Amino acid sequence: MTDKEYYLLPFDFTEISGKEVLVNELGDMIISPKGTVQKIVDRSLHKDDLYKSLVANFFISEQIIPPLVEIYAERLREKKRFLESWTGLHIFVLTLRCNQNCVYCQASSQNEESNGCTMSKETMAKSVELMFRSPSDSITMEFQGGEPSLVPDLIEYGIELAEERNKEAGKEIHYVLCTNSIHLTDRMLDICKKYGVVISTSLDGPAFLHNSNRGKKDSYEKVVAGIEKGRQAVGHDKVSALMTTSVEGLNYPIEIVDEYVKLGFHSLFLRALNPYGLATHNDNWSEYTDRFIEFYKKAFEHILELNKQGTYFVEEFAAIVLRKMLTPYCTGFVDLQSPAGVINSVLIYNYDGGVYCSDESRMLAEFNDYTFRLGSVDDKYEDLVFGKKAKEIANVWANEALAGCSDCALKQYCGADPVRNYSTQGDMYGNRATSLLCRKNKAIIEYLISLIIGRHDEVMPIFRSWVS
Amino acid sequence: MTLILDKKIYNDSVISKVVYWMSGDYKIVRISLDEFKEQIDLVGANGECVDSLVEEKFFQLLNDFKLRQVVADETRDIKTILYAKAFAEDEDLSEEDIHD
Repeated sequence: MTDKEYYLLPFDFTEISGKEVLVNELGDMIISPKGTVQKIVDRSLHKDDLYKSLVANFFISEQIIPPLVEIYAERLREKKRFLESWTGLHIFVLTLRCNQNCVYCQASSQNEESNGCTMSKETMAKSVELMFRSPSDSITMEFQGGEPSLVPDLIEYGIELAEERNKEAGKEIHYVLCTNSIHLTDRMLDICKKYGVVISTSLDGPAFLHNSNRGKKDSYEKVVAGIEKGRQAVGHDKVSALMTTSVEGLNYPIEIVDEYVKLGFHSLFLRALNPYGLATHNDNWSEYTDRFIEFYKKAFEHILELNKQGTYFVEEFAAIVLRKMLTPYCTGFVDLQSPAGVINSVLIYNYDGGVYCSDESRMLAEFNDYTFRLGSVDDKYEDLVFGKKAKEIANVWANEALAGCSDCALKQYCGADPVRNYSTQGDMYGNRATSLLCRKNKAIIEYLISLIIGRHDEVMPIFRSWVS
Repeated sequence: MTLILDKKIYNDSVISKVVYWMSGDYKIVRISLDEFKEQIDLVGANGECVDSLVEEKFFQLLNDFKLRQVVADETRDIKTILYAKAFAEDEDLSEEDIHD
């Protein structure tokens, strides 16, 4: 028996592991036999469990407007809830000075003794004022560089300004110090302790790999010592670490994961190189991308094995995608958002007074490319976030309206990135057919779905524990 | 590889989307022969001939995008209503709006 009396609801589909994977506007996914979409469109579906599942999960409706349309709309709104809270992440690039020499540096860092590349107190004060113009009830003030711990006085000054300003504003405010942990002085840690500053550090893996990436012989030992010192000062869970996969690092997926476990971390973000700063010298990004995907899968399999053996350990990129896939909620991760995280979720106040729409866009500026400079700290907030430049970026920041993205079944789990498009392809709109970011994200998301299809009972308890 | 496509079966939008995705790996030329037929010439990125698997992939994509087009066409109105209800805070949308 078939039923021709039903109406389609918006969804897309793709083929993964020999199955047809259907994804609706809410990010809900149904895994079905090949040919299912043809049957849906032809109205030749049988009224079986699949049919009921398609109705229950908003893929088809027996009425022209689904009876639960209000719930659908509310869930759709929830998926874009990050837009309601406006810009929450405010990055302060305090200085380009740095005490490391990383081979993949994405921030155009300068020598520790360099002059003229540190934020003035006046710029800090104006930046804090702009931050408080954001309507967001919850804001994060993140200190970056170069190496921001080289300017503890400026950090304390900025925090004190924010604390004073917040007496009136009454926002929930968080502080993050992004540091290489090489120079975590007692003074710096006292500031962290006093104001509850969370420490985010960089660790690329075992000593031989980390030291090689940093161009130093003793960087690993100093970072590990810094992590321990930071943990003692602000608490074990207030210190997190981030790795970047250098070309050499691609050879050590297992070792990198094990290093994080050994140091007592409970998660790891398997992060590919970004094509900014010195990292642009990597001459074959296509090969790197393919190798990164294989690296990711090997590391991920190892992480799954650790979890199966009882060690709770999360791969953060997967957790973000799985949260979008398995829960009704959105995530706060700016790189996988549509509309994009730029401006909507993040603003950057550069050491020189420039205001940028993302961390990557200020990195472009170091190469004299000011495409994503919204203005300066002297400008009005409205002129920065609603100005001509912002409107130009807004034209291309929703993957629902981009060629190649708009009919991709995985768009609900991915995001738009005009800055990346511009830096790698020469225009903000980008071309998904040749985009390496698209290739990487698609490969990883498809891999996660293939695990759900092929090893459901094995991986789902782990995945659920990561998103709960 | 040369393909002759019937425009009544695969419209311009569908063909364009297939060409878009395959243009990352192949050089493709579209030639409109007449009102009903379109010729597709497809070679590898360096001008080399391609095998039958590429033709198979081309038609798979054509069929997939044709299905997507059907879904998109049939759901355009309800999608507008759903997004309006979610974001426009308009309580007055009703079934009649679909037919407007």
